[in-house]
Formats: sequence, structure tokens, C-alpha cells
Amino acid sequence: MLRPELNELLTQTGPGMPMGELFRQYWIPALLAEELPEDDCAPVRVKILSERLIAFRDSQGRYGLIDEFCAHRGASLWFGRNEEGGLRCAYHGWKYDVTGQCVEVPSEPENSNFCANVKLTAYPLIKVGDILWTHMGDPASRPEPPEFEFVHVPSEQTYTSKRWQECNWLQALEGGIDSSHVTWLHSGALRSDPLFKGAKGNQYNIGDLKPFFEVAEADGGLFVGARRNAEDGKYYWRITPWIMPSFTMVPPRGDHPVHGHFWVPIDDENCWVYTFDYHPVRALTAAERQAMEDGFGVHSENIPGTYRPVRNKDNDYLMDREAQRQGKHFSGVEGIAIQDSSLQESMGPIVDRTKERLVPADSGIIKARQKLRKAALALRDHGVTPPGVDPAHHRVRSAAIVLPREDSFLESCRDAVTATPGVPQTTV
Amino acid sequence: MQNRPILLNSCARAATAAEARFRIDAPITPSRGARVVALDRRAESIVRRVAEQRWSSARFFVCESPGSSNGDMADVALLSTDGSASRLSTELIGADVAVMVATADDGAEAACAIGDACTLRGIMTAGVVISDGFGAEATVSALRPHARVLMVTRDEHDVAEVLSALRA
Repeated sequence: MLRPELNELLTQTGPGMPMGELFRQYWIPALLAEELPEDDCAPVRVKILSERLIAFRDSQGRYGLIDEFCAHRGASLWFGRNEEGGLRCAYHGWKYDVTGQCVEVPSEPENSNFCANVKLTAYPLIKVGDILWTHMGDPASRPEPPEFEFVHVPSEQTYTSKRWQECNWLQALEGGIDSSHVTWLHSGALRSDPLFKGAKGNQYNIGDLKPFFEVAEADGGLFVGARRNAEDGKYYWRITPWIMPSFTMVPPRGDHPVHGHFWVPIDDENCWVYTFDYHPVRALTAAERQAMEDGFGVHSENIPGTYRPVRNKDNDYLMDREAQRQGKHFSGVEGIAIQDSSLQESMGPIVDRTKERLVPADSGIIKARQKLRKAALALRDHGVTPPGVDPAHHRVRSAAIVLPREDSFLESCRDAVTATPGVPQTTV
Repeated sequence: MQNRPILLNSCARAATAAEARFRIDAPITPSRGARVVALDRRAESIVRRVAEQRWSSARFFVCESPGSSNGDMADVALLSTDGSASRLSTELIGADVAVMVATADDGAEAACAIGDACTLRGIMTAGVVISDGFGAEATVSALRPHARVLMVTRDEHDVAEVLSALRA
């Protein structure tokens, strides 16, 4: 349960809002690199943190992320021509470079200096892995680029997709921290999904429906451990890291690639979900990559040419009651990603947390909200840099492991939850 | 791909902010009761501070000793933060969660007794271990078998945070 003012604090990420300012401390995904595939390609409209922007790649391969609207009359630069080192407004020909600087106003005399005084808001846009990242905060406090392992392994070892989710970012993120839903909502996938099935750990999941939970603080966020009974009096642990503000990793299964998510607010009622799969020490197989492209695992099948899932709220996620009855999909919705999004979107655009009935098993969510709130207020009131900004905090992994009962999951798994190049993931 | 009509009851309509206005706004029944037990001396001062806040039905105790045998099970002697003496078996009547607060591992015996008593009665158990990083391992190990959910934290405010979230 949250008081209304706390719910608003955590869910509003527009300019000037405490949580909005918190997000602006981080490098966050702005779009996939595939959306700007070549120099002078078509510009892309980008809305993040409630700001409407336009992304483009100029003739020299430089990336730009600038105010969507021309300084002249406010026309959208999405209609513009991306040519000769800048984006030219289709209305009267005003032209901007990747820094937002106006470089040409055709109606002014040839030797006019007018355009030097016209500059659109612009944010940096850098390619790290398959993602173009931006930092929308004060340039003076801009951190070093992100160091998440999935964007630093060789390209043949990693795959990232993206989907639009029609709800506030926080209820989507909370699904990534909440391990207890997996045994129920995703039970069908543990048996059938090509990127999940076959792992021994799945049997522990299916065999123990009442896991115990431990929540422990990490420098960048939290580690949430879920333990289930294994054989010989041991425990099967699944360890989920959350790095602030909105990065989580799912514990691995067998030798399947490891996956996770990055939730980025579009506005307060929509978010982008960047979903990745990577293997720390080997290339993804053709079959694995195809499965990801087809929307298996934690990815989604999107409407061609868009990042909107085929199964969306306009078609009730193609709910299949017969599949639900037969246990093929616990909720009747196909696909792990859409199983999550369907329920999270069903809560409404911004869930009313004053009506919740949380239970102790929700401790990870409780603690995450507390850390977000404290960090947002510490930033606002005292200028304190929040956890997760330091790239050193990004070097984490999820893990799955069987341990003796007396062992602490964190003490025993320090190495397992640290991203180390060339070292395989710890998995069961 | 199936084409389906958008019906009045479809998610596309039901999940809008406008439709959220029609969510039933009935008062939420308070939880039946949380019992918060400090397992050691430092935890006691934390629990006493938390007890001073306003709660709906939570009760706060200091663990005095694992206590005498009550049938097959040790019955913990408790001291309420208001000074009255009680026993675990009495306090668990009507409870739906027991929250154990620990800063050291010397409450292991009491944690065992509380865990066993709660298991017998179908009462949820949770533990909050407050630690600055040193010695947490032993404390966590002591509580792990007896708490279905454990939070290990540097911040004592998490005790109140958890109780607030649980509507205690």
C-alpha cells in the first residue's frame, strides 16, 4: 500500500518531477540502433520521460536527439529531410545539426548570423551494444557510459528487442522484481518455450510452489533471492538483480542465454520495454536467435514495422480460454512477455497503489519503492547522486544455483552475481 | 491471426484511466494483525521506536526468552512495548503475520520457537535483519529456516516500511 502522494512521486517522470529528475541522472535507452540503420536515414520520433524528441543519424554517422519541433513555427521535424550534415524542416527549410544548433535559415540574408542564436534542446545519443543511449540530465554530472554486460559482449552473443507497454513504468518494473509470479503465470512456458525448457532448475520451480524470499541491498539496487527445495536437503536459489532505476535480469536456466529488461518511461501512462538475451561465453545459435526474433522467451512478436506487440490490449491479447483450460498457458495468453504486459496493463495506466493488499512475499517490491523514493528525495533535496549511476554498479548478473541449506545466497554467490568477461553464468 | 471485435468489456476499454474511475471504492479491511518481535537488544530499541508510530492493529514485543515448554513446543515469553508481559501462544491468536527483527544472531532460539509456532498455526513469517554489513551472515543464517521472507538491510526504517506496506 502506498499513500497517493507517494504513488504520484514514484510514477511521474516528466521534467521537473523528482522521479523524472532521478531518471535524468542515468544513461537510458532511447531507441534501438536498428532504428537508425545508416547515415542520412529517416529520422525517428522518440518520446521518453514525457519529452517529444527526434532522433537522426547525419551524413557523417553522428547521432542526434533533439527537440521534435522546429524553432520557427513548431512543425514536427519528423517530416524533415535528413541531408548534408543536418535535419532540414520540411516547412521553410530551417536546418539543424545533431547538437540542435540551427545551421541554416533560408529566408535570412546569406551573411546573416541569425541562426547562431537558434538552438533546439538536444541530448547526447551514443551507441553501446545494440542500443542508442541518452542522458537527459545536466551535462556537468554526466556519468561514464553504461557497462551492462549484455551491451559489451561480442555482437554474435547478444540480441535486444523492444516493445511498447501501455502502462506506467513502475508497475512494469515491479513485475521484474517480483519472482513469485513465475511459477504461476509462466508455468506453461517452463515446459514448452524453446528458450526456457529443459533446464533442471525448471523442475525445482514446478515442484515447489511456495518459495522463500530474501532481499538484500546491493550498491546499485537490490538482489532478490528466491529459494526452493532441492534434493538432499539443499536449496535451489534464483537470484534477481535490480539496478536502479529500472534494469533487472532474470535468473538463467540451464545453458540458455540469460535475459533481462530495461524499462524506460515514454510518459506516465506508457513505457518502452527493452528486452535482451545474451550468453557470456558463446555465440547465440541460429535457432536461439530465430526464437528471439519470433517472440519466444521474454521477447514479443510485434506488428511488422512497429514495436507494438501483435497481442495487445486492443485484441484482448488474443486470449485463448481453451489453452487456459488445458494448462498450456496459465492465463490463456501466449508468450511470457505478453503474459506479463497483459496483467500489468490490466491494472490501468497508473495502478492505484492505495488499494493494494501487499504480503510479505512482496518485500522486494516494498524495498525497491523505498530505495527509489529515498534516492529521488535525496537528489532533490541534497543533490545526492543515486545508486546505479556509477557504471561499476552495472557489472552484475543474475544466477541460479543449488546451495547447502546453511549457505547465504549472497555470500556464496559474490562471484556468480558479478559480471566477469569470459566467465560462464552460474546456472542450473 | 485472429480478428476480434473490440467489445465493451475488452481490455482496450476496461484498462483506461477513465474506466478506472469505476473501480469499486469499498473500504479495505484492515489486516488481522501483525506481531512484531525484537529478537535482541539493539532490535528492541528499533522496535520500540517503530511502535511509537500509528498502526492499525500491529502489536510490538521484545523477546524475553524462549520460555517454558507449552506442550511440545517452547512458548516464548514476550514483553510488550507498553510493558505488559505475555506469551507467544497468546499473541498469535488472531495474527496473520509475525515479523521478527534482528541485529545479531543471539535470537536464533527464539526465532526457531516463533517459526515453529507460526508454521503450526499457518501464520506467515517475515524477518528483517538490520546490519551495517558486519555479522549479518550469522544473523541471516539464524533466521533463514524460520522466516519465509527475509529482508537484509542497512536501514532500520525498513521495519516501518514493511509494516506500512502490509497495512499493519
